[in-house]
Amino acid sequence: MISCENVVKSFNRLEVLKGIDLDVSAGEVVVMIGPSGSGKSTFLRCMNHLETPDSGTITINGSVVEPKESSLNKLRQDIGMVFQQFNLFPHMTVMENIIEAPVLLKKMTKDQAKKKAMELLKKVGLSEKADEYPNRLSGGQKQRVAIARALAMEPKVMLFDEPTSALDPELVGEVLAVMKQLAKEGMTMVVVTHEMGFAKDVADRVLFMDGGVIVEAGSPEDIFEHPKNERTKEFLGHLK
Amino acid sequence: MNEFLSFAVTYLPYLLKGALVTIEIAVVGVIFGSILGIFVGLGRVSKNPLLSQISRFYIWVIRGTPLLLHLFIIHFAIPSVFPSLTMPPFVSACIALSINAAAYIAEIARGAIQSIDKGQMEAARSLGLSSRQAMRRVIIPQAFRRMLPPLGNEFIALIKESSLVSTIALYDLLRTGQQIISSTYRYMEVFFLVGIIYLFLTTIMSFVVRKIENKVGAYE
Repeated sequence: MISCENVVKSFNRLEVLKGIDLDVSAGEVVVMIGPSGSGKSTFLRCMNHLETPDSGTITINGSVVEPKESSLNKLRQDIGMVFQQFNLFPHMTVMENIIEAPVLLKKMTKDQAKKKAMELLKKVGLSEKADEYPNRLSGGQKQRVAIARALAMEPKVMLFDEPTSALDPELVGEVLAVMKQLAKEGMTMVVVTHEMGFAKDVADRVLFMDGGVIVEAGSPEDIFEHPKNERTKEFLGHLK
Repeated sequence: MNEFLSFAVTYLPYLLKGALVTIEIAVVGVIFGSILGIFVGLGRVSKNPLLSQISRFYIWVIRGTPLLLHLFIIHFAIPSVFPSLTMPPFVSACIALSINAAAYIAEIARGAIQSIDKGQMEAARSLGLSSRQAMRRVIIPQAFRRMLPPLGNEFIALIKESSLVSTIALYDLLRTGQQIISSTYRYMEVFFLVGIIYLFLTTIMSFVVRKIENKVGAYE
């Protein structure tokens, strides 16, 4: 589904990603953990070219991602992304947020998109909020709308960039529940998070990143119960 | 007092006729200045280096030189070289005000666009929107809301600065007042009335802008 080969990215002279390889197969849930500044968000953002890698290739669904505007636009329709800061469009209602892209990009008619949006809102538990503006919602509700908005494009992959890091602790659960449900339905997901509980419960594979490389990868049990690398042990030790 | 009132009643129709000219050139300046200004502002934030350099140059020149000079160049200097470009004062005034306002409005537009959180563009792009679609549907509607307060200032400034057109023999509000003075020598009364009318016009302008702000800002 996603295949990354030797991805390198620098900001100014700081090398943030030092040649990363990753294969994610269809239906797999990959969770990336690691200290801040380890490059995990940058790596995630390279997958849909919000950041352009300096070198390396990213293949999605068998086609190489080329940094050309038209092909990127097409590609991004298949890759949903959820941001730490939600990034809902404040001048549109919840409904308008969700149907904007499918209607504009001619994936659906307005009626179809609305119907689909209501289904999605029901799924994330916010049917009654369709006509609200985002500023009337709590953080957790905003993030669930953002997930619904991304799903409205019927993506093949969902990328989550620290989706619960900007939330009050009591609101984290409702967002994680939606993500768990999504994983259960077989969505291919790549998640950057600090929620170790989520990683343990939901991930098929956990990657520990530090210093721009994947230090260790394995099943949740491998990583959390039997970490081999010293840095992994140290990082997980800090959490306890 | 009675004497002032009868003076006012006699000359107010003339002043209002002048005020109408002021309103006309200010409205033309607001409309064409805004249209041109938004294009220049978009050019300024464009990734195309040629567009952004042209816009930058435009803003640099126009903001860096006085409106009075623009009026003189358009109305006197250009026709002195190209007689076919001789225009009535009203047209010269409209062109000069529009060109001038556009430079300031361009900077207002640029500031508003750049003030929109980077995440908005990223979210739009991540859904598959092209950068043009993202600008049109996501960034500009939000930027427009933020443009309104400084735009209101600019429109008010435009009404006041339009008084400079009296120098190219256009009978706007101020020049009409001067004309009345030249036959009556009633400086105080005339300038007082002129001031009141300008104040009335700028008050209406800020009222209209505030109304639009309230309407467009419903989501905040």
